[in-house]
Amino acid sequence: MTVIGVLGGAGTVGRVAVDRLAGYGLGELRIGGRDIDRVTAVCRATPGAAVPVRVDLRDPDELRAFCTGCRVVVNCAGPSYQVLDTVARAALAAGADYVDAGGDLTAVEALESAAPPELAERAAVFSAGVMPGLSGLLPRLLAAGPLARLDGYVGGAARISELSAVDVLLTRGPRFGTALAAWRDGRLAPGALAPLHDVTLPGFAGRVHAWPFLSAEFARLATELDVAEARNYTVYVTDAIPRALAEAWADDGPIERHVAAVVAAAEADLAATGPYYTLLFQAVPAAMPAPGQSKAPRRLILRTPDSYALSGVVAAIATREVLDGRVEPGARSAAECLDAAAVFARLSGDPLVTQAEIR
Amino acid sequence: MSLSRGPHDDSSVEGELSRIWGELLDVDPDTIPADASFLRLGGDSVLAVRMSAMVRRRLAVELALSDVTVEITLAQLADAVRRRRTAGNGAHRALPVEIEHRADPSAPFPLMPLQQGYFVGQHDGWELSYESAHFYADFGLTGLDGDEAAEALEDALARLALHQPMLRARITPQGEQYVLAPDAPGAIPRPRVYDLRESTPQEVEAHLLAVRHEMRTTGPNPLHGPGLDVRLSLLPGDRGRLHTGESLLIMDGWSATLLNRELLTLAADWNAVLAPLDVDFGDYVTSLGRLRDSEPYAADRDWWHARLGDVPRPPALPLRADPRDVRASTMETLENHVAADRWAALRDQCASREVTPSAAMLTAFAVVLARWAGHRRMLLNSLQLNRLPLHPDIHRVIGAFATTMLIPVELAQGRTFADLAGEIQRTFTEHAAHNLVSGVEVSRELARRRETTRPVAPVVFQSTLGMDAAIGAQAESAGPLGDLNFDDFHHQLRTPQVALEARFYEMRDELVLVFSLVAELFHTEQVDAAFADLLALVETLADGPGWDRIVDLPAAAAPDPVPGLTLDRLPEHDADHGDGPPVDELEQRICTVWEEILGVPVLDRGAGFFALGGDSLLVVRTLARIAKEVGGAPSVREFLNAPTVAGVAAAVRARLADARP
Repeated sequence: MTVIGVLGGAGTVGRVAVDRLAGYGLGELRIGGRDIDRVTAVCRATPGAAVPVRVDLRDPDELRAFCTGCRVVVNCAGPSYQVLDTVARAALAAGADYVDAGGDLTAVEALESAAPPELAERAAVFSAGVMPGLSGLLPRLLAAGPLARLDGYVGGAARISELSAVDVLLTRGPRFGTALAAWRDGRLAPGALAPLHDVTLPGFAGRVHAWPFLSAEFARLATELDVAEARNYTVYVTDAIPRALAEAWADDGPIERHVAAVVAAAEADLAATGPYYTLLFQAVPAAMPAPGQSKAPRRLILRTPDSYALSGVVAAIATREVLDGRVEPGARSAAECLDAAAVFARLSGDPLVTQAEIR
Repeated sequence: MSLSRGPHDDSSVEGELSRIWGELLDVDPDTIPADASFLRLGGDSVLAVRMSAMVRRRLAVELALSDVTVEITLAQLADAVRRRRTAGNGAHRALPVEIEHRADPSAPFPLMPLQQGYFVGQHDGWELSYESAHFYADFGLTGLDGDEAAEALEDALARLALHQPMLRARITPQGEQYVLAPDAPGAIPRPRVYDLRESTPQEVEAHLLAVRHEMRTTGPNPLHGPGLDVRLSLLPGDRGRLHTGESLLIMDGWSATLLNRELLTLAADWNAVLAPLDVDFGDYVTSLGRLRDSEPYAADRDWWHARLGDVPRPPALPLRADPRDVRASTMETLENHVAADRWAALRDQCASREVTPSAAMLTAFAVVLARWAGHRRMLLNSLQLNRLPLHPDIHRVIGAFATTMLIPVELAQGRTFADLAGEIQRTFTEHAAHNLVSGVEVSRELARRRETTRPVAPVVFQSTLGMDAAIGAQAESAGPLGDLNFDDFHHQLRTPQVALEARFYEMRDELVLVFSLVAELFHTEQVDAAFADLLALVETLADGPGWDRIVDLPAAAAPDPVPGLTLDRLPEHDADHGDGPPVDELEQRICTVWEEILGVPVLDRGAGFFALGGDSLLVVRTLARIAKEVGGAPSVREFLNAPTVAGVAAAVRARLADARP
């Protein structure tokens, strides 16, 4: 019997991952979390076999016990900067594959810095969420050859929990990305882009604010896809969040002091438009396109009312791909090891996706 | 790292501020010019917030939000810091805009909003536009010295062009303006003289008709030469005629009056010297540009924008042609005079009712329009010749200062004319109190919100009553040019985007009423009836009883939908070229050009140029770029007919297809 372990299964992301995995009918679910009552409640609400397990991932023995017997371990617990490669190592040691709805380049590198021998046989998929995740995966669908331009606009209005606010405030610096930068002719162009105010963008409601942020993920993508110029923006429905972040970063004091302001700013955004989240990518083929490549620009729009929940869907799809044997062994981000077309096809049929189009 | 002292003393406020900017913007603090804006050095509004925070921490000075804009320079920031230090946190000082002399008087400066409209109009941009927007006039001269007059006029014009720089102005194809140095070739306009002293009456008449026709239909164009065209016809019997064509791109109606006075003063006396001007039009425009960053400007803009949802449509005048389909070459003029004694009586009536003559005339015009259109609530446009009092010499400067102001009018039923005029005067005053934002800018925003490219306020009111007093009296004699004779004064104004304009001005103690209109649009008998109605109403006001009568007005406030075309409901273009990503290279190139010009992403072929933040001047620049890049571009008018990426691409394709044999 295939056992799929889901850590953080009672959280916003985890609950959706559990629901989709149960729906796919891939095997028995082992659902772990710190609060056994909440985990048990999730199990009761889940059709098919689901076993609740109390586990604190800071406790190595509990973590080992959770992973033992799992065919694959799916981590939906955070915050990413604390989890890093802890769960991945435990899963691999237990002979399981690993999927992480969060995690980023630092986690991949942490795991690779002292790669466990099991990594030669098993897959460890990080960033199997919306951003990073879909933000690095979906643009690949638009690139049939070299590109003159690739634009990414990702964001909307979403609640930010206190925990996420800490993540947002900490994920800053060149390891994560560079504000106001573009990618041009194979290198980072600092200060190339200005923030956009009150602009209209396909797939976004009304007028929005877009802040240039060349993520490490997008820069890698630009190199891989042979893009002459890549622009990546984080989109907000008002300028409340960027203001709150700027205030926080201008202050040298402890981050915690600014958490409340970031949470409040997100609430203000939600009040303005209601919850929605859009990924918009547009690609312009190079002047000398590849044979058979159209010269017409192409666009991808994916829209959801809840980006956290959608991350759970992405993690579930990634797990399915791993179990189907479609992911090579090794530690990589989801954007670099999943099949973009297959993921997009599955997302298109998911009830959490309100719009999925390529034209 | 340099050990030398930079331009900013390290201990000073400037020193600390330049270090903060250096950190924020990643530049060497010692190389930051005091007059470069935060924005220019790479700052943005978020960095500005961080800057305020750093100032608070390092200098212990609390800056108000209004102190710091992205356009601020290091020197201005230092001033703000000192002001806050000395004043504490309670001090709020309105940003006064003062005239600053430009370092280089020959440097290009931007067009004023109304100039932009004329500029675009000359590119065939608007419906109801002409090759030139200009004013033409001619008047008689008697007792002229035929041997001296030509030279006196040429000399006077040369001296005046030295005195008034805008007479040497040129407009660039990109829509900027600059003043030529006096010794630059072609800088000084020269009069053209026709000697018909030996001609027969028939020849004279044919000549005058020909000159008049030419100057009415072809105005001076400052894109290619002087914006002023002066001609003198020497006629038999020591008579003559002075013809002037004046481009509205370089001078407004106030300037036209000023030009006549000063030109004739100089012609009358070789030795006459005009009081020197300590300011020029470029200084004024540049100072107004700074005003746009000020809080009073933002407050006025917000005031207008808050009202735009309720702004009515123009009067529902029945039309016999869609303005889009009319290609007029001149505007027709209807004119009548109110005799001097009657005009004096009318002024007395106005004074005793405590309304200005202009407010009374605006009310009379609105009443006539209401009866003509069949409803009482409408949007009128007005031409404003007032200049912001930024400098004591400003009213003596020739330039295109004029601006416009929108006036929403609602005439209540069952009121006397005096009541209505009082109400209109209050409305007018209230709107004029927010005149830092011009009607051109407000109209642009209104059109954007209504998603229309049709004119939003094509019915115009203009009054210069009382203005002559501000300029000074006209001399009756001009030396070798003889005495002025306005008995057979010919004139014509041609302005784009105007369907009907009512003008009220004083001439030789008489009140002159004029309708200027695009005759092709209206039913002739309706225009004649309306003009007669206006004249009759004004006469009853001069008599007195007209003030206390209940004004007969239609019952409807808003127009009832009627079959046929009316000025308030012009059909929009319905050509829908679709949306989605650009479908080919051409559309993508247009997207890229728009992105560079508008500074926003252009990702959709259905994206509208104006919704993206474009304006008509940027249309001209965009078309120049497109022409350069793809070898052909549509006209401004074609662009406005379908101002989306896909629409413009379709127009470019059509243009390129036409160009092929």
